Amino acid sequence: MKPAGSSQLTGAALAVVLMVVLVQAYLFETVLEAVLDGQRRQLPGALVVSALLSAVALFLAFRVQHGSRIPAGDTEKASTLDRRD
Amino acid sequence: MPGWKSLFPVDLAEEGRLSRREFARFLALVSAGFTGGIAYLALRRKPLAGAPDPTAAAPAALQVCRVADLAPGNSFLFSYRDPQDRCILIHTPKGEWRAYRQACTHLGCAVRWDGRRLECPCHNGAFEVEQGFPLEGPPTRPLSRLNVELRPDGWAWILGDLPKPAEAL
Repeated sequence: MKPAGSSQLTGAALAVVLMVVLVQAYLFETVLEAVLDGQRRQLPGALVVSALLSAVALFLAFRVQHGSRIPAGDTEKASTLDRRD
Repeated sequence: MPGWKSLFPVDLAEEGRLSRREFARFLALVSAGFTGGIAYLALRRKPLAGAPDPTAAAPAALQVCRVADLAPGNSFLFSYRDPQDRCILIHTPKGEWRAYRQACTHLGCAVRWDGRRLECPCHNGAFEVEQGFPLEGPPTRPLSRLNVELRPDGWAWILGDLPKPAEAL
């Protein structure tokens, strides 16, 4: 059964999360390259950017939207809808 | 129906289904993992395994090899600051002498001399031998270059780091 208060994630939100992960992978590789090359100057800036990107991704993925609550007693229908979330 | 199916009544098609939100949550956690990795690199004080320690004291001058023992087109491997700081001395086919740290500026694999240029076998990176600039592959920064001096005693000496070309500008 879908927990009350959760709702469908839009395709745009999923695309944003996907983009964030791609940027994070590129950022991590760049930072690792620099550290292995003995350069640590960009680490604080990279950490701030990475934390902001993660905050965006976590917010989009875990936020609870209000407004699509499942009516009581309609659990069977809801469990079918769950599979399309 | 086979006996094992009655013991494990799992519908694989349903069990393997992943909702859009679950997938997004997985991706968000991966993103948080990258942030954790960068935080670890920022907080870690010791150099990573295999990476040279930039705080280690470099010898003022290091005697590396006899000039007569390294014919043009050949190379000689040595360690400079510490045993992890692996370097390569090259007598180029043109007769010039160059020394570089072996750590590729992409992900730290050891580069090797192929008689014409320095190659990184991990991701097919390549560097030219004159100043260590990247030629091919993923590396974007030049190799760390060391100062070589040929002394009258017949030995090649290393006298410290040279600034990278981009830093020298």
